[in-house]
Amino acid sequence: MNNKKTAVFDGLLGDNTVLSSLMVISPVIMCGNTLANAVALIYAFSAITFFSVVLGSFVPKRFPYAAKIIIYAVISSIVYIPVRTVAREFFPEVITHVGIYFPLLAVNSLIVVQSETKFCRMKRGTMIGSLVFYILGFDAVMIVTAFVRELLAYGTINGKLMDADTLISGLGLPFGGFIFLGLMCGLYRKVRSAARRENSETGGDGNVPRN
Amino acid sequence: MQTKIKSERFIWIDIMVTLLTLELMDYFYYGVRAAVLAGVCAAVSVAAELVCLRLMHRKFTADDLTCVSDALIISLMLPAVFDLKAAAIACVFAVVAAKNIFGGRLNMIFSPAAAAYVFLYTSWKNQLLMFPEPHTHTGVFEKAGSLVSSASHSFNITGKMNVSDFELLLGSVSGPAGAVSVLLLAVSAAVLLFRRSISAGAFIGSISATVLMALIVPASVTRADSVKYTLVTNMVLFASVYIVADRRIAPKREYFAFFYGFFVALFSYILVITTAKENAIVLVSMLFTPVALGFKNLEKHIELTQAAEREEAERLAAEAAADGEEAKADEQ
Amino acid sequence: MFLVTELVTLLATNLILTQALGTSTLFIAAGSKKNLLWTAMTITVFTSVGSGAAYTVNRILPDSLADLTLLFYTLIIGAIYVIFLAVLYYTDFASFATARKYVHISAFNCAVMGTLFTITDRAAAYPELNTFVRFVLSGAEAGTGFILAAFILTAAYRKLNSAKVPASFRGFPAMLVYLGLISMAVYALR
Repeated sequence: MNNKKTAVFDGLLGDNTVLSSLMVISPVIMCGNTLANAVALIYAFSAITFFSVVLGSFVPKRFPYAAKIIIYAVISSIVYIPVRTVAREFFPEVITHVGIYFPLLAVNSLIVVQSETKFCRMKRGTMIGSLVFYILGFDAVMIVTAFVRELLAYGTINGKLMDADTLISGLGLPFGGFIFLGLMCGLYRKVRSAARRENSETGGDGNVPRN
Repeated sequence: MQTKIKSERFIWIDIMVTLLTLELMDYFYYGVRAAVLAGVCAAVSVAAELVCLRLMHRKFTADDLTCVSDALIISLMLPAVFDLKAAAIACVFAVVAAKNIFGGRLNMIFSPAAAAYVFLYTSWKNQLLMFPEPHTHTGVFEKAGSLVSSASHSFNITGKMNVSDFELLLGSVSGPAGAVSVLLLAVSAAVLLFRRSISAGAFIGSISATVLMALIVPASVTRADSVKYTLVTNMVLFASVYIVADRRIAPKREYFAFFYGFFVALFSYILVITTAKENAIVLVSMLFTPVALGFKNLEKHIELTQAAEREEAERLAAEAAADGEEAKADEQ
Repeated sequence: MFLVTELVTLLATNLILTQALGTSTLFIAAGSKKNLLWTAMTITVFTSVGSGAAYTVNRILPDSLADLTLLFYTLIIGAIYVIFLAVLYYTDFASFATARKYVHISAFNCAVMGTLFTITDRAAAYPELNTFVRFVLSGAEAGTGFILAAFILTAAYRKLNSAKVPASFRGFPAMLVYLGLISMAVYALR
């Protein structure tokens, strides 16, 4: 029971979409430098991924692998159309700023790779739960990255000027995104391994058999 | 192993001696502010190194003091009045992101000093490329009155230098304090080459490419001026000694190191004359890290092949000897 | 001189180093040097052929239906994907099982799709680039940039996966920081 529970939550902590599997990292690196960008991308990613994977789960399993991948990509491209229309209403400036990274969310690895290798092998209820946590995993990383980078690079939080006298403008650039994400990835691994060690020492979630 | 440890320490001592001499010159031209800048860089680097080693569960040994020489190299590339906080951030960046994430001094990929400089170049470019005039002594927390662009900048734009050769030789021109003292740098290069503390191949490669290019595509009116000024501007000499020829980064075999240094200098010269990019050699040396790594991989491959060949030859020789003995025994 | 300028341009327009496009794919393929180079070459085929097809779609699709661009690009890539697999299957059946994994990785990813969008955006800004040949050439250039990034990563592969690298940073995190530092140098040169 506990194992099953852990698997559902995996996407958020144990197997984070961005930090563990390094999926969907381009938007985080390129556009995760302000909270405004982050919110728009979180909305688009969450909506596109959720609906595409759920709809994709209805694709017959007997289809060849390549055909299924193409169908998943086509579904997400169709889902993208209403998502973009809504985004144009709520985030008109951010859409221009984010540019090509907005449509690229429709071909993210969660949809075109993980749908087939992970989600479609689960029961629909479990799949939806797991998918939500994978999406939340991306959202959390995006928010943290955008918050820190915006504060250190531009001295603002969601556009509001803070009292920071030394700004590292490079952190707002793509290379800053690479380096920051690399550091976060390492930190995440360190914390995860420490947590696992602690779990195994204390018997943790009951996965370790005790005599 | 003992010899290796000793040689690593001797290399560090040699480099430190030359860097401290340059720091003295820096102090002479810019006063206590330059010394404080170097001190802050060194202290922050040591602190960052200590924290990193602690996190990696490693002990701080004398060899880990290489972070101090890296810090001094960084401080010598900066204007004497450079913001102390920014310099400290750059040092932390060099120690953490460019060095210890990859395993520290045991597994060097980038020159920490070059990484810190490029980091500053991308985030504090305006401040990094504006210098006080020589002999302008500023207090520790005072702001410099007037700043000017470097002599390298005016050379890159006009192809001319408005200073005498004597001033050039002594480094009495605007620019990063450590990188313009040509005479001292030349002596440092000679000492370090003689003591084998820097990669001779990389250094000679870098200098020869610069000279060659300055002759073929002169950056000045006359070829002699072109060679002279190209060598002393844009931190060519300084970077050739302390960054390109860094033994931790350059390939081990001298001829590979020569080509590495040659390509770095060639590439940076072309960038300087086509885009007037100031101090391009430092940026290019960072970009050419994969080339250095490629050469090192090749060296490793050659070593392995040679070792395999040696083993095969020894095995064949042993077999031949055994056959010979068997034949002798049969004859008897 | 020309070569150096071209190399700088190739680096300055590099999809991975300047736009982080295809970074995930690069890391997936980074499992081995062989994988990395084959994937990079397959992606080059996809970007070159895909760009040519994208030019045709851009010409046909009216501005009022611009939101359908992604769908059409997806169909283009899907078609190339199927054709590529069919060609591999019928010409070299023996190595099909090995080769198809590179095609699977290379088809739908940010590197390929991002190239099509980037080239289209660039053509909109500079009308002289809006020709079929320029599209195909730009696609090939983007693919070459990916190969270059693959070489850059391959050169450091041994060091980035060395036991001397702290366990938490070994592999992907170290690769990210490494690419970040190279990307920083490229940015400084621009």
